Amino acid sequence: MSSNPEQRPNLYALTWRLPIIFWQLIFFVGPVLFMVAMSFFLVKNYRMTEAFEFVNWSRMLTRGFFWDSYWYTIGIATLSTVCAMCIAFPAAFALAFRASESTRRWAIFLLIIPFFTSYLVRTFSWFVILSESGVVNAMLGYVGLGPYTMLNTNFGTLVGYMTLTLPLVVILQTVTMANIDKNLIEAARNLGCSPLRTIWQVIIPLSKTGLIIAAIFCFILSFGDFVAPFYLGGSQEPTLPILILDTTKSGQQWPRAAVVAIMMMVTLFAIAFTGIALAYRKGKGAK
Amino acid sequence: MTKPLVVFDKVQKHFGNFVAVKELDFEIREGEFLAIMGPSGCGKTTTLRMLAGLEAPSIGEIRLNGQVMNDVAPHERDTPLVWQSLALFPFLTARENVEFGLKMRGVDKAERKERAFKWLDKMGILEFENRHISTLSGGQKQRVALARSLVMEPQILLLDEPLSALDAHLVIRMQAVLTDLQRELGITFVYVTHSQSEAFAMADRVIIMGKGEIGQIGTPKEIYRAPANQFVAEFVGRNNILAGKVKSVDGGTARITTPSGEFTVPTNEVNLVEDHNASFVISADLVHIATEEPDGGNKAYCKLISEEFVGSMVTLFLEDAQGHEFKVQMQERELSKFDLHSGDEIWLSWDTQSAHVLNES
Repeated sequence: MSSNPEQRPNLYALTWRLPIIFWQLIFFVGPVLFMVAMSFFLVKNYRMTEAFEFVNWSRMLTRGFFWDSYWYTIGIATLSTVCAMCIAFPAAFALAFRASESTRRWAIFLLIIPFFTSYLVRTFSWFVILSESGVVNAMLGYVGLGPYTMLNTNFGTLVGYMTLTLPLVVILQTVTMANIDKNLIEAARNLGCSPLRTIWQVIIPLSKTGLIIAAIFCFILSFGDFVAPFYLGGSQEPTLPILILDTTKSGQQWPRAAVVAIMMMVTLFAIAFTGIALAYRKGKGAK
Repeated sequence: MTKPLVVFDKVQKHFGNFVAVKELDFEIREGEFLAIMGPSGCGKTTTLRMLAGLEAPSIGEIRLNGQVMNDVAPHERDTPLVWQSLALFPFLTARENVEFGLKMRGVDKAERKERAFKWLDKMGILEFENRHISTLSGGQKQRVALARSLVMEPQILLLDEPLSALDAHLVIRMQAVLTDLQRELGITFVYVTHSQSEAFAMADRVIIMGKGEIGQIGTPKEIYRAPANQFVAEFVGRNNILAGKVKSVDGGTARITTPSGEFTVPTNEVNLVEDHNASFVISADLVHIATEEPDGGNKAYCKLISEEFVGSMVTLFLEDAQGHEFKVQMQERELSKFDLHSGDEIWLSWDTQSAHVLNES
């Protein structure tokens, strides 16, 4: 028995890793590489032909409408993240610190239930609630307000984003805060920190990593979502996912749509990378 | 005469149907080092937490400087606590941890820094001021935790088993640090522990708690030599407990018949009645051994079961013919004169005044 684990690959472990490696290669790395290649293809007579031209890139990236859409998507995804984080926080706080262990377990279970049904179905149900003659306007009508236009507005888009992201954000925030060492909160109180101040002084610093990861998830989901801006936002100002759809539909411009998709991936990669670096960054003095 | 700083006035604490603290009625004197000791679940930590305001008494009053504290929120009290887990903030440096309480109290930045420096220096950890907590050793963290509480310059410092996570040699050093600090600052320390050696080594007075009640309050010597009742005697250990019936009472002494024989004990202030049950203890280090039967006095003939060495001290575990366990504690160099082996039979004896009658409860 003189096997050196560093020199001899473990065949057993390798065998079990193979399926996931193949899966990733065939369904992730392959398509991404193909999409990058495709962004240099040309479209002639509505047919895609292989080429290596930079024309798609220069066309898309010099157009105002692309950058309008780009910054609009970043803006509304950021707004969605801020809203989701703020709406979720009080709920997650209550579940983490006020609720009993069993209440918390039930709440997390209930928060998973929305994922059982299709996101598209949940989005369509908002039509009934938000339309001019919908539930909300009917109720506002009783107190002499409205009717307000909520569908086909940014508000509608945000409602859709919240439908998509809120349950997940609440779950992530709750789990993060429930794992905080309660002694630290009591220690802060013992040293003269009022209950409200402990949120800023202790709870948020301690749950920083989990909160940033929740925000990253929320941003990624909102940034790439097609359903909410298309059906509830009315796609008047197209977000990037809508721009991709429009580009492929008008003149079979798959290569230009690929440019948009690559720009989205690069942006998300940069944001996720920065966010995670921030989340795990230690303050000064750490070694 | 030192005046009471803290008064527990018939304090009870219930958690639902569970009674954590049955009834506490005691005073903490200004400037004393008080240890609260007991087995786990005896209510000692709950008592400390009530003093810090982290639990509210269900019944009764806690007064600090004559002021009723029951409804004062923890952050409005000046009762810093050193936690068993230390509870240092991992996202702050050593100095930021020490400054935390001052910042909460609204002390300005320059003064905060100056006071934090003073205490870090006093605790000998000034060089680590900018280090994060996770990079410090156990002993260094301990000192940060102490500095964080003491920088508040409180009248009273609460400590909840702060040394339980340290290595044995560090515990001895930190004990010296704590007692020196307490003498120097002259503030009251309330120290909760399950460790007898810690409590007896440091405290001016010790409270022994069991099942949510006070077993005894007294100096370490009083508790060791004259335990008030069976619970305290058993908890303190290192002693021999004999139970039997009172045969006769004669002035300052009484004869008590036990299965192991008949013994003379001083009655002290305990009211002994003939034919009633009574028990007494003799500290293990007050028992003598001899190979020949002693003349008269209190004696028992026992078989050696085992020995336990702790440094230069040896504890002998013996058994008499009735199977009652006896313990004898002595210097190793004394014991070596006897050349004893397990199974050898020897005589035990003790002076009448060494025995202490227990209050039966």
